[in-house]
Amino acid sequence: MLLRTQQLTKYYGAITALERLDLEVAPGEIVGILGPNGSGKSTAIRLLLGFLRPTSGHAAINGHDCWADSVNARRFVSYLPGELRLYENMTGVQLIEFLSRLRAYTPSSRLHDLQRLFDIDIRRPLAQMSSGMKRKVALMQVLLPETPLVILDEPTNTLDPNMRDHLLTQLGQAGKRGQAVLFSSHVLSEVEQVCDRVAILQQGRLVHSQNMRELREVRRVRVVLTEGVTGLTPPMNVAALTTQGLELHFQHTGPLPDLLRWLAELPVADLKIEPMGLVEIYQRFHQLGD
Amino acid sequence: MTWVLVRKLLRDVRMAWFVVALLLFLFQLLWSRITSRVTTEILAGLQRAGISLEFLQNLVLRRDEMMGQMVQAIMGGDRIALDQPSDMMSIAYVHPLVLTILGIWALGRAANAIAGEIDRGTMELLLAQPIRRSQIVLAQLCVDVIIFPTLCIVMWIGTYLGTSWMGLQDLPARSIDPWRFLPALLCVFALLFSISGVTMAFSALGRSRARVWGVAISLFLSMFLINVLGQMWTEVEWLRPFTIYYHYRPQPIMQSPAWHSEGSIWFHLGVLISTGAGGYVLAWIGFCRRDLPAPL
Repeated sequence: MLLRTQQLTKYYGAITALERLDLEVAPGEIVGILGPNGSGKSTAIRLLLGFLRPTSGHAAINGHDCWADSVNARRFVSYLPGELRLYENMTGVQLIEFLSRLRAYTPSSRLHDLQRLFDIDIRRPLAQMSSGMKRKVALMQVLLPETPLVILDEPTNTLDPNMRDHLLTQLGQAGKRGQAVLFSSHVLSEVEQVCDRVAILQQGRLVHSQNMRELREVRRVRVVLTEGVTGLTPPMNVAALTTQGLELHFQHTGPLPDLLRWLAELPVADLKIEPMGLVEIYQRFHQLGD
Repeated sequence: MTWVLVRKLLRDVRMAWFVVALLLFLFQLLWSRITSRVTTEILAGLQRAGISLEFLQNLVLRRDEMMGQMVQAIMGGDRIALDQPSDMMSIAYVHPLVLTILGIWALGRAANAIAGEIDRGTMELLLAQPIRRSQIVLAQLCVDVIIFPTLCIVMWIGTYLGTSWMGLQDLPARSIDPWRFLPALLCVFALLFSISGVTMAFSALGRSRARVWGVAISLFLSMFLINVLGQMWTEVEWLRPFTIYYHYRPQPIMQSPAWHSEGSIWFHLGVLISTGAGGYVLAWIGFCRRDLPAPL
């Protein structure tokens, strides 16, 4: 495992910021951390980067303890903070060069590719850039070194929809190159789009871990019947079946033919099959709008 | 890697350094002019008007009167002779304005160094890179060690050029030897280092630059006042050795050719350097062990 936390806990006095987090991220895996403000997402990330000392438990990146051996752990990580603050007295290129030197890394021709992709002139002073442009510069310095683990705290904040798509594509490509990506977000759709796995936090606890491939195989089905039917015998891969008058609601996993054969025996007036989204999972733990 | 940080920090402070260096340089030129006027024109004029030097010396520097005590406390030293250009010139190294410029520079830089970075949120960006927290403190120490001597040298160049332009180096029998001022820069360096070290400790443990500024200014202002008041009132004199300004004594170095054999001079220098070093050690320990708070 590239990243492993065991019972990772952080208290601020009597306040529990994170409690007994067990999380593993493998190389090439893209993991999203979901949860409302105060659920412990940023605390978890700050613990991984060695900004905070854990109250108990332990986290390691590539076998290096995130607190005791934080420098070596951070050699494997590049990080984009949520609250982005840059050195305003530098130009974009100066910032990228400065941070690269701290990594003993020379920006390659990929810098120009990213510059073209993000459509930004990095020779401009950061003080004269908009918040979205600054975020692009920060993203470039995160994506350039191609570290084994990329940690991003709400990375799409202040990005326009085009840039957001570019970024998500970049994250997907990073995963394909074997880089692991861990990112927190409030936006379920973007997590759904790129993540292999999602961890949902609630009041500092990991309450659910969802494999997205499994979730994508689950369909949400709504059937409207023309007349009432008694003694329904659904196939085995139908779950959470509920009836409301002439309407059936259920979840289905697996190949469609079984489902369609069963539906063909029913007096179906209307049928809606859609992929199960992260919204339903998330809403089990948090009301949207939390 | 520390050198990368040092270069960046030097780049950050260059403008403020230039302003402070210019102020110190100009003050030395101004004080050379004042010294020239006082020692060669005003005192001579007063003597022609029948006011003796002894009377004036007693009036201005009398230790048993409030005004004399105040002037003495601000001028520094016990052996100031108003008609001696080198004594008058030495005041330029203890003048409250110089102490204020040096203090604000050292304090401001140190307050900004860690608490300022945390406050602005750029510390996260820095510490997300594979660098040790101790490297950040070490880089700040390197910047002090590079920057402070350059400020001292600029100050001395001001003294040299000022006294040269005012003809104070060529006065018969009372000429100023500017090279005698050079070793006194050890005191200036030590004072800057002690202020910087102590403030760095506050900075490493704080999260708000403004709060660190507030605490450090209160501390050093209290020390300055205690040192001045301690010279005026014997009741609080015992507190003076606990202030860094008590140990800041450049004048005996300028006045005594054999200053290096005087143990007390090394003792005072040692106290200042130890205070600064102690501050840096506290900063190092504190910063390496603390949680890095989220930006304000």
